[in-house]
Amino acid sequence: QKLTGQVTDKATQQPIAGVSIAVKGTLTGTLTNNGGTFSLTNLKSTDVLVFSYLGYRTQEIPYTGQNSLTVELEEGLALNEVVVTALGLERNARSLGYAIQKVDGRLISDVKAPNFLDNLAGKVAGVNISAGSTGVGSSSKITIRGESSFTNTNPLFVVDGIPINNATVVNNVNDDANGFQEIDFGNGAMEINPDDVAAVSVLKGPGAAALYGTRASNGVILITTKDGVTNKGIGVSFNSTFFAERPFQLPRFQNSYGQGNSGAFKYVNGLGGGINDNISYSYGPRLDAGLLIQQYDSPVSLPDGRTVRGGDIYVYSGQPITPTPFVSHPDNVSSFYQLGHTAINNLAVSGSYAKGNYRLSFSDLNSQSTIPGVNLDRKTLAAKLQFEPVKWLKINSSINYINSSSDNRPATKYGSENINYAMSAWLGRQTDVNPMKQYWQPGLENVQQFSYNYTYFDNPYFTLYENRNSFNRDRLIGNISATADIAEHFRVIVRSGMDYSSEARQFRRAFSSNRFRNGAYAENRVYFREVNTDFLLNYTRNLGPLSLDVSAGGNQMNQQTSFDQDQALSLAQPGVFKLTNAASPVEVYQQVGRKRINSLYALAKLSYRDLLFVDITGRNDWSSALATPTSTANTSFFYPSVSASWVLSNQFRLPYGISFAKVRASVANVGNDTSPYQTTGVFNARTPVFSQPAFSAQSSIANTNLKPESTTSFEVGADIRFFNDRLGFDLTYYDALTSNQILSLPIAQPTGYSERVINGGAVRSRGLEAVVTLTPIQTNSVRWNVNLNFSRNRSTVVSLPDEAGTLTLGYNRIYDNVNQTVWYQVRQGDRMGDMWGTGYLRNAQGEFIVGANGQYIADNTLKKLGNYNPDFMLGLNNQISVKNWNLNFLLDWRQGGVLVSRTLALAGVAGQLIETADRPDAGIVAKGVVNTGTAENPVYQQNTRAIPAETYYRMYYDRNNEENSTYNASYVKLREMSIGYTVPETAWLAQKLRMQRLTVAVVGRNLFALSHMQHFDPEQTSFQQQQFQRGVEDMTYPSSRNIGVKLSVNF
Amino acid sequence: FKEINTNPNAPVDVQPSLLMRKVLFDYGEQMSYEAFVAGNLLGQYFTAIDFNLFDRHSLSEPQYGGNPWPFLYTNLRDNEIILQKSRANVAYGVYEGPALIMKAYMTAALTDLYGDVPYSEALSGQSGVITPAYDGQEAIYTASGGILDNLNKGIASINAYKGATALDGDIIFSGNRTKWVLFANSLKIKYLMRISGRVDVKSDLQKVLTEGNFIKANTDNAAFRFSTQPNNFRMSTARVGDYNLFIMSLTSQEILTNLSDPRIQTYFRSTTAKPGTYKGLLNGPDASKLSISVADYSLTGSIFRENSDKLSANFMTAAETSLLLAEAAERGLVSASAKDWYERGITQAFEYWQTTLPTSYLSSNAVAYKQNGQNPIEQILTQKWLANINNGYEGWIEWRRTGFPRLKTISASLNNNLIPVRMPYPGTESALNNVQYKKAADKINNNSINAPVWWDVN
Repeated sequence: QKLTGQVTDKATQQPIAGVSIAVKGTLTGTLTNNGGTFSLTNLKSTDVLVFSYLGYRTQEIPYTGQNSLTVELEEGLALNEVVVTALGLERNARSLGYAIQKVDGRLISDVKAPNFLDNLAGKVAGVNISAGSTGVGSSSKITIRGESSFTNTNPLFVVDGIPINNATVVNNVNDDANGFQEIDFGNGAMEINPDDVAAVSVLKGPGAAALYGTRASNGVILITTKDGVTNKGIGVSFNSTFFAERPFQLPRFQNSYGQGNSGAFKYVNGLGGGINDNISYSYGPRLDAGLLIQQYDSPVSLPDGRTVRGGDIYVYSGQPITPTPFVSHPDNVSSFYQLGHTAINNLAVSGSYAKGNYRLSFSDLNSQSTIPGVNLDRKTLAAKLQFEPVKWLKINSSINYINSSSDNRPATKYGSENINYAMSAWLGRQTDVNPMKQYWQPGLENVQQFSYNYTYFDNPYFTLYENRNSFNRDRLIGNISATADIAEHFRVIVRSGMDYSSEARQFRRAFSSNRFRNGAYAENRVYFREVNTDFLLNYTRNLGPLSLDVSAGGNQMNQQTSFDQDQALSLAQPGVFKLTNAASPVEVYQQVGRKRINSLYALAKLSYRDLLFVDITGRNDWSSALATPTSTANTSFFYPSVSASWVLSNQFRLPYGISFAKVRASVANVGNDTSPYQTTGVFNARTPVFSQPAFSAQSSIANTNLKPESTTSFEVGADIRFFNDRLGFDLTYYDALTSNQILSLPIAQPTGYSERVINGGAVRSRGLEAVVTLTPIQTNSVRWNVNLNFSRNRSTVVSLPDEAGTLTLGYNRIYDNVNQTVWYQVRQGDRMGDMWGTGYLRNAQGEFIVGANGQYIADNTLKKLGNYNPDFMLGLNNQISVKNWNLNFLLDWRQGGVLVSRTLALAGVAGQLIETADRPDAGIVAKGVVNTGTAENPVYQQNTRAIPAETYYRMYYDRNNEENSTYNASYVKLREMSIGYTVPETAWLAQKLRMQRLTVAVVGRNLFALSHMQHFDPEQTSFQQQQFQRGVEDMTYPSSRNIGVKLSVNF
Repeated sequence: FKEINTNPNAPVDVQPSLLMRKVLFDYGEQMSYEAFVAGNLLGQYFTAIDFNLFDRHSLSEPQYGGNPWPFLYTNLRDNEIILQKSRANVAYGVYEGPALIMKAYMTAALTDLYGDVPYSEALSGQSGVITPAYDGQEAIYTASGGILDNLNKGIASINAYKGATALDGDIIFSGNRTKWVLFANSLKIKYLMRISGRVDVKSDLQKVLTEGNFIKANTDNAAFRFSTQPNNFRMSTARVGDYNLFIMSLTSQEILTNLSDPRIQTYFRSTTAKPGTYKGLLNGPDASKLSISVADYSLTGSIFRENSDKLSANFMTAAETSLLLAEAAERGLVSASAKDWYERGITQAFEYWQTTLPTSYLSSNAVAYKQNGQNPIEQILTQKWLANINNGYEGWIEWRRTGFPRLKTISASLNNNLIPVRMPYPGTESALNNVQYKKAADKINNNSINAPVWWDVN
């Protein structure tokens, strides 16, 4: 029997070419031609014809003996979508042999966060995002599929085909208590404007990313910006979000005991002149017990009749401080934080005309943090233009200009430049912070601050309003590309793009600052420029049921960076922040970097009738970072990938209910180079000696024979959907081995060096990702979509580069103190993310051993504190719409892992936290056992000896042990929520204003969390040695809970 | 590519003078800071009233300083590069002598603190030796290529140098090579005395004394003055709180007041509560049971803070040399007048500390040499202890050798009321050089701070 027919698009009634028609359960089939027509012969009346086409719902039609047939295909559902893959190639998701997850732009801009990365949290399986800890403008850290490399876990960010920079560049610091602390000025990708994003594709594994080469071994975040193509004529859209912000979680304090030690306190000068007024422990007298005690804000009457405060110590001389009631101020810390707000406004104009389309967008973000004096301003101007001067040529161009600035970025980690040092850890619980708002001593403006203590702590208002770390950053990201159909089957794409940024930072330190008694000033300039130019030649051909798509191309990347910091550590005239006002020699630091990677690559895509798809890629990179002054032998490296997918549902009769089924597999290899200048040793300039230069050999031993790292990955997956796609599972299992890693291995100091750069070691990452989509309700007026992202990753050390057995990947410490250190160490067979530290001595049963003095005994052998990686992550996204109402919410659950808390350790030792509220007069008996036997034959009995509560808490939380300040890091967070109403187009108001759409919503971010941590947001990263560190809470600032309204309108 | 990956920020090679300047300054600056925050606690000059586990003799838990291991090896490394350059290039030959002397000096600082340390296999990371073995202290001192041998070789090299290249980057002697010889000979005296409990050093000591080429006047001291930032004494810009943690120890109070020693006004301040009086606290208090007003105690002197431009980083002084010779004479190791050297040493120490020597001081009851039943060795060592305040760990090291001055059992010891007699190897050794570390640690009861070093026969 012969059948002829035509396939058309249901919506447009246009014929579709290339539709696959298969006889189910057989290998027979055909494709439609350019007119959308087909013919088939030898059909039986029991046959079922399967019509499938990329982007359309598959239809099955039983053959009933007819001669002709017209089939209308409908556009497919969400999962059957077009995604952008490596090199910007658009593909249908079903044809891919590896995992890619797409996030729609709408989902990203629904409840916006100032850091773009935070908008992705919980929305992609296998992607771990942690927000920074220094308020608005902090860096967020992203990893995809865990940490497979010892040194580099950053994914590559690509915007409209051009790689952009996601680096976080930290100012120069010296690590002891005397200099500038580290400031986090944000990560590069935070500046992507969610309102300009059409979609994000996350290429998770090397299989998906292989074509991007050396920088893609940790995955790729591909961002496509909006264009004007959807609008006919001119479209205008405006949306505005306004958030009010409060601190998400502040430490919970005890309010029964005020400042002092051993129950005694008297303020005289905040320098130790009184009783225990040097260090502000809260083991002093009882609060609210009717006591009158001299305090920093108690009045002092001057002979001239004026009254000053006890802390105005440079203004009076010898006059007595009048004691005032020693009462609690439970809200002293919470009232310090203010109501913050963030306003994000976006106006976009777009349109299309016969030969092209355009979109212009302007966004303004203005955020005033809950932390006084801390803010972030960002303006983004985006223009995108596409046009076709002639039928065979398409020109695309996009340009983004971004200006970001802040008056103050607060300091990270433990130390007096971080206000949490004064506020969370060491603020005597009786302290009323309000008087500190007047932070100069009268008559000594710009010269001498007024504070509750002068030994260690700066007045927090003084820190935030005077000792500012400001920045102003200009950034330009742009590209232009041309696509030409040069001949039948042949297409050429040429593209060039740049990411340029230039940033000026200023660090002001006023006179009387704890670390800089005579003030200080530093300027830091950071410059980055990367230009990528590439071409791609593409050949496509349909050969009967086979279709072939071959591409070859090349890329050159040129990167230039520079970093300058000039600093004066004391100033002449107070209040003048200029290097010309330096009172000591200006120190100058300069660093420049250059790197080039040349690449050639090729890609072949084969498909057989919409059933079977095979991709083969190969790429060769030549990286300058692997060159030595005399050789380029190691600079070249090649890596291939193969992936395949097979659409089972187009071939077999599947059980009832299964509407789609696909299996996929891929194998890939990706190389990874390193940062510049690792191959030769140099001498570094050190602090000048009496204004003469001084040099020292670098602390790391360079390697002239560096080879690229290599990641080999294997991945299998399945995409199965049921009940007309209302329930879908997309499952992926992967196994990636990163070997021959380039790493700086710490070595023993007696070698003369502290590190050496070597190749070696291997990490295996295995994991499971599941994306579940469910539409439990779908009627004309009600629709409920659930999207669940689950992932579990285990990165295990397969081998280490030397026999010693332990590799220290980094550490997080208090000041420079080796003993107050969380060590990121791995041994063979261990998981990446293990943290080691010290605790108190325990017996074989795990009980604490108590010494003769009733206290625990320091055990200086490192023990494993736990692993900071979660056992699994689960993001649950719900979208419910009832008529014109919408409810969306996102729950984020991270189970497992541990977190070491500095706030718990320091504010615990200081007696501030609620944990230290219990202080019986009889003392506290430390839980543990006493050895009543000998050292060789111990006999353990329960400890019964009580020690003073102060001694107990100061021992228990002592910063030399990390173990007692370690939390279970699990949490569930209500991350985003929005409730919105869309005014119907037919409504009176909408018609009056000629609106196409008007939506009003109540939106919230970071709303609620369940966790073991009562003192801070359970989501924590810290920042030391110029890099992110997970698993440690390092005197965090409160994150903010945002609630606001959003208005969007389209004309 | 070769050009792109050539680091434009930093040179691949530098003049030895640039390294020398760094080694001398960095060692001096670091060791002076170490002295203030750690050495002066172990030597019981100061006590620390909080964050003081180190003062309570848990030496592996220092809060400030207390871990000189890394900077000693880093400076030994840079010094070794100077030495290699001086031997590889005739034009740099002038640096060989000073580099050998600094090698001996910094190696002694290391082994005196820790005992057996990596030495002969150390500093060879570039040639692939990454787990260097520990050498015995005896060999480090006495073997060929050891401390004493390097001092001799250093002197010989300087004497033999006939070239015209100036010794640049020398911030302690401004390129005066003769003074380097004086320095080296003073060090010979010091190290021969150090090992005199183990080795017969008589003839070697007598030889140095007879030749007379050692530091005899404060103008020849191996020292440099601190300046303003960034070359200041670190405590001068430290936070007030850190500075206020360190107060006069009871040991200092007793010794200085017993001697009616006016240096009490240089080293300490009178109390704020009672101006004109000085008060110290017994070392190693348990801060959680301590409730004091700092105003009742003596803080350290303004020379360590406001007037720290008067402070010098002390490598070796005339006073120390003189007092070493006094002890040598008293013990019969050299033939000389112990009393003369004793009194000369005291006079030089007062001058070094810019304090006027009271005319009656040398003849006062407690100071007058060998008078009133005084033990002369104790007198000499007490004076040397006083002269050596803020000189690294010297006060404590010499107490370990001689038992003088009599240090006190501390208040809340975390070391079973024992005063430690060595510094523990840092944790980084057990982590990064475990096999060699274990061999060394096992010999001394698992890295015990109560295991005496080889020269410590006291």
